[in-house]
Amino acid sequence: MRKDVLIVDDEPAIRRLLVGALDRTGLSHEEAATAAAALRIAGGAQPPHVILLDLGLPDRDGLEIVPQLAALGLAVIVLTARDATTEKVAALDLGADDFVTKPFDSEELLARVRSAIRRRTGHAVDATRRAFLDGTIDRETHRVIIRDQLTDLTPREFDLLWTLAEKPGRVMTHVSLLESIWGPAHRDDLEYLRVAVRSLRKKIEADPARPALVINEPGVGYRLAPETR
Amino acid sequence: MTDPAPETDAERFLRLAHREQRGRLTAYLGAAPGVGKTYRMLQDAGRRQAEGTDVVVGIAETHGRSDTAQLLEPLEALPRHVVLHQGHSLEEFDIDAALARNPDLILVDELAHSNAPGCRHPKRWQDVEELLDAGIDVATTVNIQHIESLNDVVAGFTHVRVRETVPDRVLDEAELIVVDLPPEALIERLEAGKVYLPDTAGRALSNFFTPNKLAALRELALRFAARSVDRRLSDQLQTSGEKGDFVSGERLLVAVSAGKGGAQVVRHAKRMADIYYAPWTAVVIESGSARAVRGAQRDQLADNLALAASLGASLMTIAADDVGPALIQQARELRATQIVIGKSRRSRWFEWRHGSIAQDVIRHAKGIAVQVVPLEEGDEKPPRSDNAYSQRDNVIAFLGVAATVALIHLILPWIAFGAIDLLLLLPVIAASTLIRTRAGLWASVWAALSYNFFFIEPLHTFAIKSPADVVTFVVLALVASVIGALAGKVRRQAETSAGVARLNASLARFAGLMGGISDKDETARVACREIGMLLDVEAVIVSLEDDQIVVRGNDKSVRLDIVDEAAARWTLERGEPTGRDTGTLNASDWQFHPLKTSLGTMGALGIARASQQRIIRPDDATLLASLVDQTALAHERLVLEAQARQVGTLRERDRLRGALLGSIAHDLRTPLTAVIAAAEAIPAEGSFAEEVRIARTESRRLQRFLNDLLEASRIEHGTIEPKWESIELADIITAVLHDLRQDRPGARVVTRIDPDCPFVSSDPLLLRHILINLIDNALKFSPAGSPVEVELVARADTALYRILDRGPGLPADSQILFDRFERLEGSDRVGGSGLGLWIAKNFTEAVGGTISAGNREGGGAIFEVALPVAMAKGMASHA
Repeated sequence: MRKDVLIVDDEPAIRRLLVGALDRTGLSHEEAATAAAALRIAGGAQPPHVILLDLGLPDRDGLEIVPQLAALGLAVIVLTARDATTEKVAALDLGADDFVTKPFDSEELLARVRSAIRRRTGHAVDATRRAFLDGTIDRETHRVIIRDQLTDLTPREFDLLWTLAEKPGRVMTHVSLLESIWGPAHRDDLEYLRVAVRSLRKKIEADPARPALVINEPGVGYRLAPETR
Repeated sequence: MTDPAPETDAERFLRLAHREQRGRLTAYLGAAPGVGKTYRMLQDAGRRQAEGTDVVVGIAETHGRSDTAQLLEPLEALPRHVVLHQGHSLEEFDIDAALARNPDLILVDELAHSNAPGCRHPKRWQDVEELLDAGIDVATTVNIQHIESLNDVVAGFTHVRVRETVPDRVLDEAELIVVDLPPEALIERLEAGKVYLPDTAGRALSNFFTPNKLAALRELALRFAARSVDRRLSDQLQTSGEKGDFVSGERLLVAVSAGKGGAQVVRHAKRMADIYYAPWTAVVIESGSARAVRGAQRDQLADNLALAASLGASLMTIAADDVGPALIQQARELRATQIVIGKSRRSRWFEWRHGSIAQDVIRHAKGIAVQVVPLEEGDEKPPRSDNAYSQRDNVIAFLGVAATVALIHLILPWIAFGAIDLLLLLPVIAASTLIRTRAGLWASVWAALSYNFFFIEPLHTFAIKSPADVVTFVVLALVASVIGALAGKVRRQAETSAGVARLNASLARFAGLMGGISDKDETARVACREIGMLLDVEAVIVSLEDDQIVVRGNDKSVRLDIVDEAAARWTLERGEPTGRDTGTLNASDWQFHPLKTSLGTMGALGIARASQQRIIRPDDATLLASLVDQTALAHERLVLEAQARQVGTLRERDRLRGALLGSIAHDLRTPLTAVIAAAEAIPAEGSFAEEVRIARTESRRLQRFLNDLLEASRIEHGTIEPKWESIELADIITAVLHDLRQDRPGARVVTRIDPDCPFVSSDPLLLRHILINLIDNALKFSPAGSPVEVELVARADTALYRILDRGPGLPADSQILFDRFERLEGSDRVGGSGLGLWIAKNFTEAVGGTISAGNREGGGAIFEVALPVAMAKGMASHA
């Protein structure tokens, strides 16, 4: 049977804690202490849905195996230090789904894991409609409904919201957002993104000064708060 | 005395001399004694005192006049310094008392006065300079005939030469007040007995007091004052940038020779320079023959150079054989527009024989004006007419020729008659190359005569029978003298260039020796040994260590007495030469030269010579200057090397400490992560609920502490390089609040955010740390239940984060809060590394912001981080 989570960390104490947290929520899991072991399990007949990957592994740099793991269809969540923005951005650009900073808060960690599993297993109702916390967006009809209100967005705001909403909860790096919305020529024009996010927030956030939908990860990118269920 | 270690005189005057602002000099200038300078000075002083100025009389002579004494009455007078000299007790101005008293204004009468031997300075004007340097205003009096540059002029029409002179530069900065009295009135005063004349000088001085002379002196005084006003005006123009260069664009070059005439020429040049406001250079040309200048003449030359320096000239010594061309070449190099040169009145015959330098210069000075100053007759004797040498040369020449004649007689049977005249040229060549030109010339005379006497028919007479022999004789005489002159010239040139080569070789050797040493004592020892050898002096290096004079570099134990030490100290602290043959503290047997470098005065070179001669001959002055420079450079190099070594060690130590800290912090972090997660996994209920709570908060605290340490080590290593990006400041607050919910569950933070605050260009991680540390700090001091407030405010060109609390507020000197390990009193009970605010400050500065702290109305503290807002480009257009 496919396991939910593969825990990859060389510290037995950390592994034990993660195991404990997953057990309490009823998620199934297996463990690996090295990159080689992680690849072996991920490449096996029954790969898990999500991999919790510590980047500081004894045999290889965790970042190196992110693309292979992503290519095998696993949702990669990297465990990094809070300050390691470059590492986070690199992991996301290499195909990781998300990151969790150490020392981690177990509630948050579990929320991220659940959200990632949902993105993998959740059968998308249809290809043109996405739901997120407080709202839905429909690419076909160009309708955005926030807290049961039809909301008017400019084309740019719509593109932005759609790009974020495609995989709610997943962090999109600044560069990937700029490239997919404004084109590769504007990958460094962060200012465009800031302006667009601000105007989008004014239209969809309950309190634009305390955003709860479009969430910034400083130095990394944006994520759209997923539906809670 | 209660003072356990009374300071020496030297220490005291040096300390007192160490004040910043230079005092102002007011000089009351008169045309002659008796015009009322002292009276006027005292009047003004009385007025100043009434206005509240602290006025003291340093020294003032009433000369028994009661009206002057009356003016003196209300003023505070300094006690005089009594000096015993040859059985007399002399009363002198007490410079130390004046410096110790430190008034606003001090009156020092008679600027030109010479102090009694044993005083600090030989001249009173030097005392005045020291007072000015110490920041004390000085009022003084001086008569026009005491002004150095006017000395000759006055002597010219009064026939009285005044020995006591004051260098013009002393009065350059002074405000001149001319005390004027028409000549008739002055003579009236004189006749009424109101003018004091010293008994000894009575007759000579009374020569001044004829209406004509007084009128001339008065004109001179008025002109001098007018020129001074003029110059100050043009100085102002220059400093205010309205004119670039010297007004006239003139530049003077004066040729300085030995003798009184030299001094006359120097003074003349100074007056010319003043008239044109022109810079001027005094040049000594050292020709081969001038090297032979010795004794008294050499000292005179040095005196004349010193005079030129004191009158403001820059000095230069050039080795060259031909004085005239060398002078012109130098003038061209310096772009001089005028050459000033002295010329003695000599007979035409003398000039025809010796040539005249002045004529030579005039002939070749194309485009340069030549000023010829006529000198008194016989004053400037050419150095070659030194009789003792001339006699000796003659004898040697005679003996040489006699020996040759004897030799010719011996070998006569074997040689052709035509060879005789050639053989007779030998002693001429020998004498002029080996001894001097003069000897060669004598030899040529003797050779010609003996040829005639011994070898031309009729033999043993000076008559010549055959016309052919006349031709031979004349040709021999001419050839001999030409060869003599040419050979002599070659020899002189060789000597001159050998001298230059020797100088360069000694300098190169010295630099080489000094370059290889890396120890202070050894440097001093080698420097002193070499300098001692090159200049034939005793040499030491002195420096100040812990305020003590330390002597290095001499194996013989050199002892400096108190005067020497005072001189050394002066040089070390002021960077000026002192001691023997200088203007300062010249009672010392040593002469001290500062070792000046870009790092300051590294020490002083002391030199001494056992005999009574000058320590340094003028032609060695250049060599000495180079040696002093080299020694200073060697000392500077030592200091720089030591600094570099020290910096290297520190840097290495720092690097190791940083690496250690980094690895410790990393190794601590991993287990700590497990501890924190574990503590949070344990349900906080039941009988161990409190213990679990403590484990959670304390492990979080340990983690914050660890982060602080890591960040501090990054700051200390200067490895903070902001990653600039456009930032929505509100997002940082959101992220920080998110972190805070993890780290400090239960913390209450209220936010007020301006949603239209402009974006800033900054580093998101650094901003996050700044906010976390400031909020953390505010939480530490907040009383339970009162929230910390975080604001984002937009100002004209800054965006502000404001963190406010209701804690105890800040002490008065809130800036020290941002120092490392600085905590509010008693705050360590609240916990923290003491690094938080220091890190916040460093990070803020790294992103170009400023941080400040203050107290909040109604109690509590405010911390403000101001970040510059860059002009946002194309804001709304792409939304």
